[in-house]
Parts: sequence; C-alpha cells; structure tokens
Amino acid sequence: MLAEAEPDLKNLKMVIMDYKILAEQLVKKCLDKGADAAEVYIESGRDLSIEVRNGEVETVREAASHGAGFRVFVEGKTAFSHCNDFSDDALEKAVSSAIAFANNLTPDENNILPEDESVTEVEGLYDPEIAEVDMERKIEMAKEVEQLAMADERITKSSGAGFSEGDSEIVIANSNGLLKSYKSTACSFGVGVVAEKEEQKSTGYEYCRRRFFSDLLPPEQIAEKAARDAYELLDPRMVKTQKAAVIFDPDAARSILGGILAALNGERVIQGASFLAGNMDNKIASGLLTLTDDGTRPKGLGSKPFDGEGVHTRKRILIDKGILKGFMYNTIIARRAGVKSTGNASRRGFRSLPGIGPHNLYMAAGKDSREKIIKATQNGLLLKGATGYGINPVNGNFSGGASGFWIKNGKIVHPVKGLTVAGTADDMLNGIDMVGDDLDLTRSFTAPTFRIREMQIGGER
Amino acid sequence: MKLKDHFVSDIPRRKFLNLTLKGGIALMATPALVSQLWSCKSPLPESMVLDLDPGLLQKIIQKALENGGDFAEVYVENRISRNISMEESKFKSGVFGISKGAGVRVIAGDKTGYAYTDELSEAKMLRAAEVASFVARGTKTVPPVDLQKTGRESFITVKVPLGDLADDKRLEVMRRANQAALEYDPKIKMALISYYDEIRGRTIANSEGLYLSDELPLLFFIVQAMGVGNNTRHMARERLSRHSGFEMFDKVSPEEIARKAAREAVVMLKAEDAPAGIMDVVMQNGWGGVLVHEAVGHPLEADNIAKKVGAFTGKLGQKVASDVFTMVDDGSLPNFRGTINFDDEGTQMKRNVLIKNGVLKKYMTDILSAKQIDMERTGNGRRESFRHIPIPRMTNTFIEKGEDNPEDILTSTKEGIYVQSLSGGSVNPITGVFNFTCREAYLIENGEKTTPVKGATLIGNCLDVISGIDAVGNDLEFGPGICGKGQMAEVSAGQPTVRIRNINVGGSRARS
Repeated sequence: MLAEAEPDLKNLKMVIMDYKILAEQLVKKCLDKGADAAEVYIESGRDLSIEVRNGEVETVREAASHGAGFRVFVEGKTAFSHCNDFSDDALEKAVSSAIAFANNLTPDENNILPEDESVTEVEGLYDPEIAEVDMERKIEMAKEVEQLAMADERITKSSGAGFSEGDSEIVIANSNGLLKSYKSTACSFGVGVVAEKEEQKSTGYEYCRRRFFSDLLPPEQIAEKAARDAYELLDPRMVKTQKAAVIFDPDAARSILGGILAALNGERVIQGASFLAGNMDNKIASGLLTLTDDGTRPKGLGSKPFDGEGVHTRKRILIDKGILKGFMYNTIIARRAGVKSTGNASRRGFRSLPGIGPHNLYMAAGKDSREKIIKATQNGLLLKGATGYGINPVNGNFSGGASGFWIKNGKIVHPVKGLTVAGTADDMLNGIDMVGDDLDLTRSFTAPTFRIREMQIGGER
Repeated sequence: MKLKDHFVSDIPRRKFLNLTLKGGIALMATPALVSQLWSCKSPLPESMVLDLDPGLLQKIIQKALENGGDFAEVYVENRISRNISMEESKFKSGVFGISKGAGVRVIAGDKTGYAYTDELSEAKMLRAAEVASFVARGTKTVPPVDLQKTGRESFITVKVPLGDLADDKRLEVMRRANQAALEYDPKIKMALISYYDEIRGRTIANSEGLYLSDELPLLFFIVQAMGVGNNTRHMARERLSRHSGFEMFDKVSPEEIARKAAREAVVMLKAEDAPAGIMDVVMQNGWGGVLVHEAVGHPLEADNIAKKVGAFTGKLGQKVASDVFTMVDDGSLPNFRGTINFDDEGTQMKRNVLIKNGVLKKYMTDILSAKQIDMERTGNGRRESFRHIPIPRMTNTFIEKGEDNPEDILTSTKEGIYVQSLSGGSVNPITGVFNFTCREAYLIENGEKTTPVKGATLIGNCLDVISGIDAVGNDLEFGPGICGKGQMAEVSAGQPTVRIRNINVGGSRARS
C-alpha cells in the first residue's frame, strides 16, 4: 500500500502534472540508463459508460487513468515496457526492464525512431462540452433511445441501451527531439432490441458515435434503425445452394474491408503473408473500387494529427480504380522496405507497441442509388451482415455466415436464414460491378452499398 | 453495448479494426499484448499480492455503501507480464508490463456502479468508492460484514516459478520451436512464435465479509507456421497454454508444438475448394470444443438469462439436446488455461454440469445474475482486469466423453466434412445463431477422410446443433482459447470426437 500521508498533495500533483515535461524527462531517463535511443508514449484519459435497460439504470462505470509505454533501443536491439504506476520506483523499473530486455533480442539496422517535425492540422478532435453535460442528461438519452426503439409493437424486449464517452490526451517524445501531443474526445449512444414472433427471435442494434456531443444524431433515427434491423429479418427462409449476385449493405462491408486492409499491411507484404504481395501497380480489383485511408478528415473518428509514433498523418489512396497503389507502413517496416513511413503506425493505447493500421478507411462512393442496384439484380442476396473472419489476408479465401434478404427480379422477396456465402478475394474484388452513392463518412471504416457479380451461396440441397 | 456477439479465437487478434461500438469483434486491450521480460538481477521473486491493510479495505467498502446499496466490493490487482515475439527467425519485440490498480463495485438491486483507479492511495480508492456509489443513491444500505481472511482450495501448482526465470529460458523455447518448424519441411517459409507469461496477484474484499488473495501464473505459447506452395499459402498454428510454472514445456516440448503447426501448414497446401451446403460434420476431439463454447456455452451464461433475452431462457429442466449430450464447465481442472482457484468475485471453483443427457440443469452465474435468477453461485464471475466489471464467463467448457469409438464415428459417416481444427467462432447469445471457421478440414467420402478443403465457415443455430449431435466419442481432449465478450478471458474448450448432422458449410464451390 502506498503511504496514506498527504493524499491532497498527491491529487494536486496529478492535476498539475504536465505530461509533456514528464515524457521528456522519461526519455532522458532511458538514455541515462543505457539506451541509445528511446521513445515515451503517455496516454491519460477519462471514460464514462452508462447502460440502461427497461427504463432503469443498470450500470454506471467511470474512471480516469493514465499510463506510459517505453520503447528503448540498444545497439540496434529494441524492447518495450509499459506501466500505469507513475511512482518513481515503478517508472524506474519499467525503464530498466525494457533496457535489460533489449539486450537479449536480435539487432536489426532497421530499428529506428522517426524524425518528423510536422504535424497535420486536424480540426474537430476535441469537444470540451461533453464532460460538461450533466450525467442525468446522458442517462436520459439512453433511456429515450430505448423507449423509442421499444415503441414499435414488433419489438418485444430490450437488450439494453447505453451512452459512453471518453477523452484522452496522447503525448509522444523521442530522443530525436520529437515532442507532440493532442487531445481528443468521442461519445456515443445506442440501443439493442429483440423482435419475437412465436419461437423466432431476431436482434437489431444501432449506435451513433461522434467526436462532438452536439453532432450526435437524434434518438429517433437510432431507435428506428435498431428496431427495423430486428423485425425486418423475421420470417426468414432458406434458399437453395447456388451461385448468385451478392449486394453488400454498408453494415456488411467491413467483412471484406478487414481482410483487404490486413493484406495492405506492409509488414505482412514483406513477409509474403499477404495475398496482395508483389502486386504493386497491378490491377487487383474492378475499376469501380477505390480505397482511401484518410487520417486528416475534420471530426473523423479515426483522424489524428500524428500516428502512433509521432509521424504526421495524411490522406492516401491505397487502391485507385482497381490498381494497387500503396501499402501501409510504420517507420521500422518502411525502412526495411526501402520507403518512407506512411504515417500508419497504429497503437492501441500505452500498452501496445506500434503496429500498422489505418485511420479512416473508406471505399469511394459510386454513382448508383441503392434502389437501382437492387432493381438491377435478377437473383441474388442483399447481405446485411456476415459472420466469420472475413477475407483471409494470407490466401484471400472468404467464407462466412450470411444474414439479409433474397432478391428476385429486382425486388426484395424475403429475409434469409442459415445461409453461407463464400469466394476468393480475387473473384470478389474483380467482381464488383455496381457501387452505391450512399457512403457514410462519419464512420471510420466504411463503404457504400456495392454488388459483387457472383458468389457461392450455401443453403438447401 | 449488450448485443455484441461473443467470440472465441485461438490467438490474440492483432488488428483491432473495429473502432466503433458495433460489431462483435471488438478487441479490448488484451492481456496477451501486455508483457514483460525478466530482469536476471532480481533477487527473490517478490509476491504479486499487494500488502494491503484490511482496515483500509473495510473503510472503502463502507464508503461505497454510504449512499445505499446491498453489496460492495474492492478488487485489487497487480500484474507483471512478458510478451516476446519472434518472426522470420528474429526476436522482433519484447514487452514488459506492469499493471496495478483497484476497482470498486456497488450493487443496488439490479444496478451496478463501478469505478477504478490506477493509484492505490487511500484518497483515490475512496474517490472510486464514491463514484461507484452513485447508482445506489436513495436505496437502502445492507450493512457490511467485518472482513475475515478466507481460504480457498488451489487447483494450480507451480514447480518452476515464472518469477525466478532467466530471460534466456524463454528465448530458448522460442528458438527451439522456430528451428523445429523450419526444419520440418522446405515448404515452411516462416514461423511466427509468440510467448506470453504473466503473474497476476489478486485481492478481493466484499461487504459479505470475504477477504481473499492469491497469485496466478499464466503461460501462453503460440507457433504459427506459413507454408508456401504453388500459388498458395497457408498459415497454420498450434498453441499451448496453462496456469502453471515453466514446467509446462517439460510435458509438451516446443518442438512438438512447432511440428504440429508445420504439419498442418504443409498438408493444407493441397487443400481444394470446400463444397457449399448442408451436410454432416465430424469434429475431431480437442479445440473443436469451441463449438459448444459458442453454440451452447455463451447462451448458458446467466446475464442474458436474467434479462430474459437469452436463447435458453425458461428452459431449465427441459430437454434441449440429444441423450448423448452432456456438457460441463469446470474451473477446477488442475492447471488448465481456464482454471482459477476462485473466480474474480472470490467464489470457489467447481465442476458444473450444465446439460446432462440432453436436459438443461444449470446456468453459469456471477454474484449479480445468481441473485437475479435465484440460483447458486457457480464460480463464473470473471473479469479481464481491475478496469472491468465481473460478468458470467466460461472457464474450461466441454462436451463430456461418450461411448463411441472415434473411428466408428468416421466410418459410419457416408459423406460430409471432417473438421480437424477450427480457428474460432462467434455467437449471437440471444438468437443462438453461431458460426465457426475451419482451419484444417477434409472431405469425408464413403466413411473416409480424403481431400483437405480450404477454410470454410460452419453455421447454425445452437438449439438445432445440440439436437443434431448423434455420436459422441470416448476421446475427450482440450484446447486453449481467448474468449471475447466485451472483455477478454482465458478459457479452454474441449470435446471428444462428435458427429453433427445437417450443418451448413460455407464452401466456395457447388457440391459434385
């Protein structure tokens, strides 16, 4: 147990703690302890989550926390440590453990830290208002969205509604003189409901997440979508095993995007563990597919001024009208590949080493309305959701469980159940033949409705 | 959100793509990415159980119940972890982690308040108690009972403590695995070795007077091997995990794990497209148990039952599966990955028979849901860390062994799919709709395992699938996994060889 003395003083110390100064001091500490180069990543923040069900508060969870991650380099060898205890002893132990650890690992000339003075100006990342809004108001919002979703007579149960918010400050300092920080906020609310009919059950949920409290959508809109997603899929039918067109709803698009994204990871490409390796500047998809990663969009949920190791973010086209144009890199992997970091070092908090990942990834909108795409489909599946792992980034195989609607002669005829959908990345990406105009850029990982000419559907014999 | 799908996977998901609330595959900061290596200079291994003053814990509990509430609890955790990864024959990264903190929980009726702090000062913990007590305002206080040191039976033995171990020992098992994988076959072009260990010290005190501490070691070793053939690649994997000391590697050598992964990588290079449609599936013993974990385990967790939305709501005492089907969750199997001495609320672990010969006997509860559905506490209240509220989670979940000879199960199946291993799966606990992805699977033709087929998804509904199990082997085996339900938990899943009739297989070609 820590000393009980002077609790007030401790509080005060926390409040006035300047993490930028601390980060610089800690970089120095790493060098003093024997590191040739070092990086300190400090994250501090506050989280609140409220869950309500059947009009009553069920859980309220709140906490403020902080932590630091240390990346140290000793003669080309690198190791990492993290620590959420900011006492001198604990910080000292974290630093010396990382250095001791580094000595055991394999040296690599590519193990370097970035030098990058520029910072991308991104507007709308921090909303001071969220924390000021009354707790009661937030509880009311969750209750209201639940009540509205339950108002539809086809909805029988609530599986809960919620409100959550968080703010965080990230500080990165390294021994190349880099020192950057930014603050960000996000808040969200949503609801999950169940529609029942005899023995059937169907679930739906919807949420809205924004950087600014005042940008949250009206609860009616959220409630209506959650309820519709649940009742629309009642009375589903199975169809025969066959090959047919598949229209991907934006809600199902992530099952494709995830695998493509993992295959665009520069490290997996170098290792030959990506189905896109060796395809730079080649046509890998239909001319209708353009994929962009944008770290700079104002108010974007994935936007940030710099990446997980302090390199400025940018907007990049990864696939341009079907031609593979770019992979994603962090500093170390970029050096290995003989290129420059693309500002895609990803970090899942202070406990994580920088990996590689996107900011706001989206598939460009096309020209067709969703209605037109459905109308143009003689026989096929409108895929609302796909379960499973998505496209396998190593070999491009895709197989998943499907939920959605069957389309016959340009019209939705009934919901489906118990179907599978499968294909290969090559066939799927090249088979995209219609792209919708309904792209929702408020999400950080998003696509419009699009159609793939033909996929294998598994169902009845 | 409540409607998240629950998933289990056999390795930590490295990519967290889903930054939104929606979609079941949300990955939190997994302990598997938290880590540390050992400093050889360290004298005696320090205990991970923090020396806390019971008087202070009592004071925090009192503070937590000041505004009302019928239950309060303090959970203090101190974790040291090490994570090392080797790729392309190089030690790519090493991570050493120190994580310490306390969570305070207050329950008032169906309401839960929770707050945590990284700092274990009296002031910070009292502040957490005050924040957690917010939900209990205006309710009656059930006065707390004085804390009394409680003992619990231990199911975890340690011969070679992780705390004493030199770095070299850890690196050595990785080197050995790497070499064995690469030497297995020239088609193996790369091995990815991941080593994780942690020691987690826990102290739990609650208003029922419970006061408990212990220290849990955990080891997780993963070998992935990439086979490269003509225009095809396959990433195979094999895992070993136990709550144990380093002696884990005496029982199963790193080479053995590596060769298993390499074997799969080479075999699967010959895989052809899987057929699509409804067919019979034979699942080999072991990690295939993820099927019951998803399809039956999650829907039997009592939180969704208490909310009356779960797929098995109101079915207690009813026949829900075929006679040959008995399912157990047992957190007391010695040193298993899903084993703990007591759950993260302090409840003693034990064997819980959930479904016996097809009849639903029990749900898995935590303190809150046990009270809500008026059932016993089964020891399933678990949490990822002090940052998380305990919820009903599985431990070691398995289909109890049956009487069939595994070979007979195969030979009596005319055609279908033989699943040797699964990557993982997920389930919607309300509708019971689940999916699994095969990693190694074969066609069954005339009762024989023939051509390997590419990773297909198997889908179905939990109630259908357990009625469709018509053969259960006598060869029960287990595999280690990571279960996600908004927060992570280490689990194992097991089963003997079983046959399930009429599962839909998501292959990429029509059946011939």
